Amino acid sequence: MASSGAAVGSGTPVTLKELRPPSPLFADGASLRILGKLQEYSVETTIAMIVDGDASLKIDTQHLRDLSFRVGSMYQFIGELQIQPDNEAVLRARVGRNVDGLDLNLYYQSLQLVRQFQAERARFQST
Amino acid sequence: MDKSLSLVHVKLLAFDLLSLAQSPPDTPTFSLDGVSLSRTEVLGVVVYLCGRRRTGCVPCILWLNHATSPYFARQRPQGVRLIADLANSQASLVKLGAVTRVCGRITSYQGAVQITASSVAVERDPNAEVLHLLDCLKLARRVYDRPGS
Repeated sequence: MASSGAAVGSGTPVTLKELRPPSPLFADGASLRILGKLQEYSVETTIAMIVDGDASLKIDTQHLRDLSFRVGSMYQFIGELQIQPDNEAVLRARVGRNVDGLDLNLYYQSLQLVRQFQAERARFQST
Repeated sequence: MDKSLSLVHVKLLAFDLLSLAQSPPDTPTFSLDGVSLSRTEVLGVVVYLCGRRRTGCVPCILWLNHATSPYFARQRPQGVRLIADLANSQASLVKLGAVTRVCGRITSYQGAVQITASSVAVERDPNAEVLHLLDCLKLARRVYDRPGS
């Protein structure tokens, strides 16, 4: 019988453009799910750089297994944000997957729709 | 009027599933805004695996103890073997990071909502999660008649 175990962050979906101060999502330890195109990857440091438009983010991939990295491909990562003293952020990824073929417009639109739905639910429950 | 969707696998977003209340208490039925539910279909990324029997932040339980369970001891061995083989083959496909569709009964363990899976399938289409999400929103507004929708 499986026990409850420790809580595991589900990863709040967020765009790279939203992930900058003073956004409340830009917080040390925040559990996030992000999407971007792989711009560079270092096998030595296991650090990947993903981009989305003019926004970018470093991803620490040392804990990922069975994932091959191809520059130019789209990836989605779930993990916790680490804010370093110089305010540079790195996502320590727990989970990652190649999402080549994902309809990005549809993905971003669905993100907005879910947020809208959740806000409507919260407003209804508070009345 | 209490609406019942107990006979169908209701497509729910994780935050809706996790806010379900057991109604009445200690029964296999749950309710969400007056709607009775007992089965669900969810889709998401596997972020946690424990002995191949638990996935994600919506805890999903896939039982693999058919050979030793007293519940299955009452059934025909050939049927139990088929069920066990199916469960084991489905469990072998579930990996950390995989997008997985789970259908099953909504249950509760130590006060927390979970799904006892009857079928588990890995989705290869990168758009599957988005399409499921849009399905959940559309069904919530047009079929489940969610207040505030």
